[in-house]
Amino acid sequence: MALGRETWRLALKLIVRQPGRSALTMLGLAIGVGAFIAMVSFGEGARKSVVAQFEVLGTNLIKVQNTTPAVNPRARPSIPTGDNEVKLIRREATTVAQVVPVARRAASVAWGGEQRPSYVNGVTPGYLGLHSWDVAAGGNFDASDLTEAAKVCLLGKTNVKELFGDRDPLGETVTLAGMMPCRVVGVLAEKGFSTNAADLDDIVLVPVTTYNAHLTDRPIYAYIEVEPLTKDLLDSARAEITDILRRGHGLEDDEPNDFSVSSPLEVIRAADRTARILGTLLAAIAGVSLLVGGIGIMNIQLVSVAERTEEIGVRAAIGASPSQILTQFLIEALILTMLGTFVGVTLGIGVATLVAQNMGWPRVISPSGVLFSAGFGIAVGILFGYLPARRAALLDPIHALRRQ
Amino acid sequence: MPTPVIETLGLSKVYQGSVGGVPVLSHVDLTIEYGEVVALRGPSGSGKSTLLNILGCLDRPSRGRYVLGGSDVSGLTREEQAWVRLHYIGFVFQSFHLLAHATALENVTLPLHYAGVPRGRADETARDLLARVGLSHRGSHFPAQLSGGERQRVAIARALTARPPLLLADEPTGALDTKTGAEIMRLLLDLHKERGTSIILVTHDPVVADYADRQIFLRDGKVVDTEEAQVGARA
Repeated sequence: MALGRETWRLALKLIVRQPGRSALTMLGLAIGVGAFIAMVSFGEGARKSVVAQFEVLGTNLIKVQNTTPAVNPRARPSIPTGDNEVKLIRREATTVAQVVPVARRAASVAWGGEQRPSYVNGVTPGYLGLHSWDVAAGGNFDASDLTEAAKVCLLGKTNVKELFGDRDPLGETVTLAGMMPCRVVGVLAEKGFSTNAADLDDIVLVPVTTYNAHLTDRPIYAYIEVEPLTKDLLDSARAEITDILRRGHGLEDDEPNDFSVSSPLEVIRAADRTARILGTLLAAIAGVSLLVGGIGIMNIQLVSVAERTEEIGVRAAIGASPSQILTQFLIEALILTMLGTFVGVTLGIGVATLVAQNMGWPRVISPSGVLFSAGFGIAVGILFGYLPARRAALLDPIHALRRQ
Repeated sequence: MPTPVIETLGLSKVYQGSVGGVPVLSHVDLTIEYGEVVALRGPSGSGKSTLLNILGCLDRPSRGRYVLGGSDVSGLTREEQAWVRLHYIGFVFQSFHLLAHATALENVTLPLHYAGVPRGRADETARDLLARVGLSHRGSHFPAQLSGGERQRVAIARALTARPPLLLADEPTGALDTKTGAEIMRLLLDLHKERGTSIILVTHDPVVADYADRQIFLRDGKVVDTEEAQVGARA
């Protein structure tokens, strides 16, 4: 059949000459494809955003703390996590970059006659790096501050705002827990809220030695944070630390741990899994709209066959064979489908970009999502274009001509 | 004797209804020579349209033989029928049946498109034909922008682009006023003379029928004697 290019040209002409009908036909598919791309992008963007929020906790981090008896009734009375554990890990672990003890208590912070309740963390200088926490003004305390138990501190944004307002806190002396004066050497960058809505900026950081000397009776840590040498070593480091502490605590083989070794990465992984499930759900819903768009094309094509009965009859009378008429309708459907898909892809990327900007999450356009929806759109066009086309081809020309 | 363009032998058509078959044509024997203009007449319900559809390869006879240009076309498949229509038969209808979304030129080009003639040559042929029917200046007009007479001229040009030896005209002047109708008839006859195209003319109008070399009367699906039918028609 010597149709080919000429048929494409004629079909395109007919489509351009009936812009209303063509637009209507494309609309459903365009919206379906667009919705699919946008939804997949929303899902992926939201996932990245959620994961980013959890990554505030630190991705390359192991937390060692004592278990409370309620959690594990068979365990021995818990040994408080203290210097002994820090020393054990520092001395024996081979997969560990640094060990940061974190002592923590509620304490008031006072300056210039004002006072507010806050939290004080006793940490080592490595704490900030471990949490990718920047210093907004001034600097971190250093190793010599740590050995000398210097009375210096870093203020979280909330404390700065509440106590100092617009004034510069650097170099000022605040009083912690109503008894320990210390000099402000730095202001922490704003960290926002944790996943359980705690204000991460409502804090004062002091060297852990200073904390032990002045803010507590006995050096017990809320937890010990351990950074493995590399991210890949996270799991081996956890196993190693567990081993070291079990031996250090003299636990028998059949005794459960009297401490816990955990990692925020688990939480992040869980959040990631949850977000992925939601993303898949979104994609599934969008898939339905894609299908509906395809059915829309089929409907309009079917209606169009009914509407164009006379045209089909005339073409048949002139000498168009059933296969030529089939080809013509298929090509029309194909062109409309490709146009609709193209519009949909453009629309989807546009909407995804807009929403990503407004929601403040990264715009993620997955190439496979675009390819899938475009491929699906075109497949639907061919499939659902075929049915009406076949009907048109099988139309009896006599009846087609008589109907007028 | 040369082969006639059309020869039918015992052509019958029965439509299958709910209570047995309804015979529409019975034992029609026809011979039409190349270059003849024949008028097909008869009251409505006489089977004219059915006969025209069968002769136009739009329909198949239930029984009997239909020989077109020397070949039996009674039992062709739909694809084969389409091929025969494309190369052997041109159609002119009462209501023109032009494609509304195609220009006059595109309408005339259509058969050549289906025949796979390259666009340049097809356009040239179509333009020549449009000029021949007096519409060289109307090529880019859409049917809605043309008068009834002009539309029928486009339809005639379209019917002749593929140079078929046979033209089937179903009430070609039925939708036109008398003067325009006469012009169309004159054009058809001129083209018939120039190209030697055989024409079968279906019409109610005795004035139109008089243009033909010969008239065939149908009644109740049978060809009847010319005189008898005329007497019947006048009675």
